[in-house]
Amino acid sequence: MTAIVATNETILVVGGGISGMTAALEAAETGKQVVLVEKTAALGGRTSQLYRYFPKMCHPTCGLEINLRRLKANPRIKVLTLAEVTGITGGSGDYTATVRITPRYVNENCTACGECAKVVSTQVDDQFNYKLGKTKAAYLPNAMAYPQRYVLDASIIGTAEAEKAKAACKYGAIDLDQKEETMQIKAGAVVWATGWQPYDAAKIQPYGYGRFKNVITSVEFERLADPHGPTRGKLLRPSDGKEAKNVAFIQCAGSRDENHLRHCSRFCCMASLKQTHYVHENFPEDGKSTIYYIDIRAIDRFEDFYQKVKADSSVTFTKSKVARISLNEATGNPICHGVDTEGYHRYANEHDLVVLAVGMEPSVKGMSIPASVAADSSGFIEADPLNGGIFGAGCATNALDVNRSVQSATAAALRAVQVVNKVARAEA
Amino acid sequence: MSANAQMATKYKNNFLKEVEEQVEMGEWVKMCMQCGVCSGSCPTNFHPGWEHPPQEIFMMIRAGKREEVLTSPSMWMCTSCYNCIVRCPRKLPITHIMHGLANYAHRLGVAPKMQPTRSFAKLFWNNCVKTGRVNELKLSVGLYFKDGLSQGIRNGMAMKDVALGLLKAKRLNPFELFGGHKCKDQNGIHAMLKKARELEEKRKALKAAA
Amino acid sequence: MSAEKKVAAYICKGCGLGERLDADALVNVAQKEGKVQLARSHDFLCSEEGVDLIKSDIANEGVTHIMIGACSRRAKTEAFYFPQNAVARANLREGVIWIRPDTEEARETTQEMAADYIRMGCAEIKAMSAPAGNPNTGSSRTLLVVGGGVSGMTAALEASRTGYPVVLVEKSGQLGGWAAKLWRRIPVHEPFKAPADTGVADMVAQIQADPNIKVYLNATVAKTDGAPGRFEVQIATESGSVATEDIGAIIQATGAEPYDANKLPELGYGKSPDVVDQAGLEALARAANGGPMLKPSNGKPVKSVAFVQCAGQRDAGGQHLSYCSGYCCNASIKQAMYFKDGNPDVDTTILFTDLRTPGNGEDFYRSAQEKGVIFSKGKVASVSPGADALTVNFHDLILDDKDARLEVDLVVLATGQVPNSGVDIEAPNKPQVEGGAADAATVEAKPISILNLQYRQGPDVPQLKWGFTDSHFICFPYETRRTGIYTVGPVRRPMDMAQAREDATGATLKAIQAIENAQLGRAAHPRSGDLSFPKVRLEGCTQCKRCTVECPFGAIDEDERRFPLFNESRCRRCGTCMGACPVRVISFENYSVDTVGSQIKAVDIPDEFSEKPRILILACENDAYPALDMAGMQHNEYSAFVRIIPVRCLGSVNTIWITDALNAGYDGVMLMGCKHGENYQCHFVKGSELGRYRLSKIDDTLKNLNLETDRVRDLEVAIADIEHVPAMINQYAERIVEIGMSPFKSF
Repeated sequence: MTAIVATNETILVVGGGISGMTAALEAAETGKQVVLVEKTAALGGRTSQLYRYFPKMCHPTCGLEINLRRLKANPRIKVLTLAEVTGITGGSGDYTATVRITPRYVNENCTACGECAKVVSTQVDDQFNYKLGKTKAAYLPNAMAYPQRYVLDASIIGTAEAEKAKAACKYGAIDLDQKEETMQIKAGAVVWATGWQPYDAAKIQPYGYGRFKNVITSVEFERLADPHGPTRGKLLRPSDGKEAKNVAFIQCAGSRDENHLRHCSRFCCMASLKQTHYVHENFPEDGKSTIYYIDIRAIDRFEDFYQKVKADSSVTFTKSKVARISLNEATGNPICHGVDTEGYHRYANEHDLVVLAVGMEPSVKGMSIPASVAADSSGFIEADPLNGGIFGAGCATNALDVNRSVQSATAAALRAVQVVNKVARAEA
Repeated sequence: MSANAQMATKYKNNFLKEVEEQVEMGEWVKMCMQCGVCSGSCPTNFHPGWEHPPQEIFMMIRAGKREEVLTSPSMWMCTSCYNCIVRCPRKLPITHIMHGLANYAHRLGVAPKMQPTRSFAKLFWNNCVKTGRVNELKLSVGLYFKDGLSQGIRNGMAMKDVALGLLKAKRLNPFELFGGHKCKDQNGIHAMLKKARELEEKRKALKAAA
Repeated sequence: MSAEKKVAAYICKGCGLGERLDADALVNVAQKEGKVQLARSHDFLCSEEGVDLIKSDIANEGVTHIMIGACSRRAKTEAFYFPQNAVARANLREGVIWIRPDTEEARETTQEMAADYIRMGCAEIKAMSAPAGNPNTGSSRTLLVVGGGVSGMTAALEASRTGYPVVLVEKSGQLGGWAAKLWRRIPVHEPFKAPADTGVADMVAQIQADPNIKVYLNATVAKTDGAPGRFEVQIATESGSVATEDIGAIIQATGAEPYDANKLPELGYGKSPDVVDQAGLEALARAANGGPMLKPSNGKPVKSVAFVQCAGQRDAGGQHLSYCSGYCCNASIKQAMYFKDGNPDVDTTILFTDLRTPGNGEDFYRSAQEKGVIFSKGKVASVSPGADALTVNFHDLILDDKDARLEVDLVVLATGQVPNSGVDIEAPNKPQVEGGAADAATVEAKPISILNLQYRQGPDVPQLKWGFTDSHFICFPYETRRTGIYTVGPVRRPMDMAQAREDATGATLKAIQAIENAQLGRAAHPRSGDLSFPKVRLEGCTQCKRCTVECPFGAIDEDERRFPLFNESRCRRCGTCMGACPVRVISFENYSVDTVGSQIKAVDIPDEFSEKPRILILACENDAYPALDMAGMQHNEYSAFVRIIPVRCLGSVNTIWITDALNAGYDGVMLMGCKHGENYQCHFVKGSELGRYRLSKIDDTLKNLNLETDRVRDLEVAIADIEHVPAMINQYAERIVEIGMSPFKSF
């Protein structure tokens, strides 16, 4: 394992998504030592699973490429993947974090040549594609994965498959004896950037997610649109692989709802507006999108984007929270039932595919963070002097879009820099 | 001055305030955010008579459409399935508000006269408070004959097979038509109801004062 | 750095390279044709042993320049990390064997491809040197903050807390800006239910007590000269005195003004004193000081109030602001609470089309409903003043009542924000976008420069749209087109106080970074840490000014003799100047007309009867090149006739490369760059656009050479085009076969 040299002038960044990477890079480019801890096997987080960003319709991997280049060029950042912070003790300027590292079974000799994947036949759920597809049990987490190193799925360890993979590797990169290990890392300040998770759509019973195959979530829809995704970028619906030309987008799926998430998740309106472009892009002639909404929250200059989508005749807006979804058994089409509240019109609209614009909740809720931090009722970290040298960043602090997550992470980096600068001054 | 006119004057057409103070659960109306889930969830599928779905009723209240709301048959259409309550993202007790509004309209004497749910509710209430027990036979007969004698006979004939079956199974006692069974302490029941009414008035007065 | 240059080439045989290619032949190419002093092959170059071999050659053989023929420059960067040396990578894995079929008949062309990349790598490394950093550094660690509102005060306090001195310039006589005029602010803490104290007084007190912050009141920036680390800023005060400060980096926090409600006569503004904007309502609330708010017309307590959202905003008609200001829904909720918290009997109605209370704003919205604030989805048509009350005429969208009306004592118009961004330096060139009228109005109203930059390209930070100085980068919100100058708060983008504070804190970090980078002679984002910088051979300069005009970052001025004057720490190292220079006198130590040009010339061009065309691809290193790389990782095959050279940006492409290639007998040239225009994806903002503009003139060159216009193709490639890019290449290769081989091969 890589030796980590960390002191109380080190900044520990927890979470390697866009917020964590930003905080780590910004601090390191200000001259600080950083340890970046990521739970999964690769950096990038949820933004790397998006096909395009609103409002520019550019690709998240473009920014990721820049960030990875910054990272590769910066020896001040140490990256730990498959690593989770399980405890933090101490106080501002003097923390010790306990980090648990799950074995990858592949060491730094790996060249990502892919020979191991060729010989392994076991398939496992592809987490990168939200389990919409399968991947080999020896896999590169994604095309942009950093570290660019394969992973052996734990399920094949101890089987002949793992031995086959080991035998196929000419570089001694496969180490089947790796064990879970725990390490202690010193840090003066901690940036907590564990991001968000999509609200569990199965909890929204009337929408039938999990019962109806053609009701999917917005994050899954991103994977369908992505050429790296399970359908290679074609909008094919899960039940029968038919082209999904008539797509419904249901806003506030979980958000603004006291039975689910109390807060507004902010990004979902823009995400659905963006996703209507995917429909249009795939089916310029006969693609159709319907957005069911309570309020369209295309905030600040995003209004422009909303107006453009509104002008697109293939997109219909219905001011209504869909009450329930039923299934046309014959066609597999989901049927949205509800009332257009602008003037009261009932509808039962059949669509090829329904996309639930699921809400955002913190992936580690305030109370589950292994340190004492203030959190709001949704579990987002609140800025509070009592948090000491622990600073929330990105979606761990609020329902934010990428742009605002980056702002938040840059601000958190400064607060962390302030702490370690103070330590440095005291030690000088 | 009618009760209705009195209230209209008292609240100077601030109908939302009137609803908040006078209607059971009326204080929840303001919390609606017009998402429409209640309306879309209603299994009655808005049969004729359901002119205004719940969320629209709430908006009408806020817009001060007093007359239209109180005389509407809509609230009377609610079957208390509770779908709307379960799904409402703002946790409004919609079913209860609907009943509260219906009850209030009835108390003011402006509820639609021929609305069948209302007639049934009235029959049921009068039937059960009298003796403290529901007299099912009288209730059915009352319901059959509410639109006149000939219609009553037609209704009775239509249901005769059910009646005979019930008779056979000893689930229907024809002598119930004369007096029928009662609870032990009829006066007690009446006193209880009177007290409940007093408490209700007091609560409303307090609410209005607050 | 050792004075003597010694070049070594290393050919890796791992990952199938050894099996698919003749490595010995490649070593031979490096030695004989690449003329490197040392050439080796290794079975597994990125292993510890392989890397030790290179390190040992550096230490013992005096190797200074390293050419690695292995995987892509994007792979194995930790292993091949030699910061003291010049390094070039020949991409034999993702760029050759992974995109070619493993068949006997493909073997020859695959080997030729690899051999060319070795030739190119050797040519490149010989033309390169390891950059030593820009010597023209600055040493000022002081941050200038322009604007003393919440954004500016936040930046000043945060910078001081980090240990950097601050000079704060405020044009008015006091700190606080718009926030100081507020009665209360929107809450930012659980339970998000009631208006909160603005905290402005506390911030002002902290600034006044901070010896690290020097405040100039009633002052403006009269002149800003220099570059990050060494700005020289003249501050003019109202009294007429001028002070000069040495500044490291600048934060522009000049805020916004409310949109002028006088432009909304249909909503009653100006017709009745009882129609106010949100700022006007704050003034009423402050005057009431917790007591009942009074009608401006007659001084009687307000009994009913209507808030008109999006007044003069979200106007698709182009007459008013076309954007949403983002904060006004919450602000109106807050203001409605001013009434309700004082007296629940005051009727408060908020008329909106989309209520926008993101995040925990939803709690604030619910709290207002609990307090009895009425929310109506409606479009307001007009406000008509009557004798006693105002009538708000609106279309109730829920009840579909077109003639809904509301009688109230007071109407508040939520008019939103207009940025104070100074001079629109691009105004004359800007195409009229929708909302043009409002744009024109913005420009007319604010001709006064804020920073008075003594830059050749104009006195202020360029604006994006509607006067906002945003970068429009999603991943990098702080990037402006003026290095070391960061705009924060509502001048950058419409925002509320909470966001402005976060924004200012982040920007402060960026400003501090700019100071640190400038001291070390390093580049700022996106080539952070790059030590190369443009060098110009003035003897050859013809003073054509293309570099000074085109630089997307305003880094190049003109000296008194009208020669370009480079301000290295303003430079982002995109190379646009190098691409623009017709006499090719601009270069970087590790990227120049020569590093690319010599690669182009190094390629072996088979004769015209070989049926082996050669196609040059110049690919943006940030998007097109990774897309090609990932296509390789997916083993998406493409033509063996292409030779790919990554470029920093399409903007850095000098047309000489294209004419050289065509003259040398290449059959076609493909240029792959990022999208430009409104939704530009070029991380040098204008690079790809300028590059394309330059290339649009290439047709003339082709005509002069008597070549078909299809010999050069300009393509927009995004990083996600991994499926698409091989198809583009193959189609183009087919097209080249159609038009035939270049007639220039025999020359």
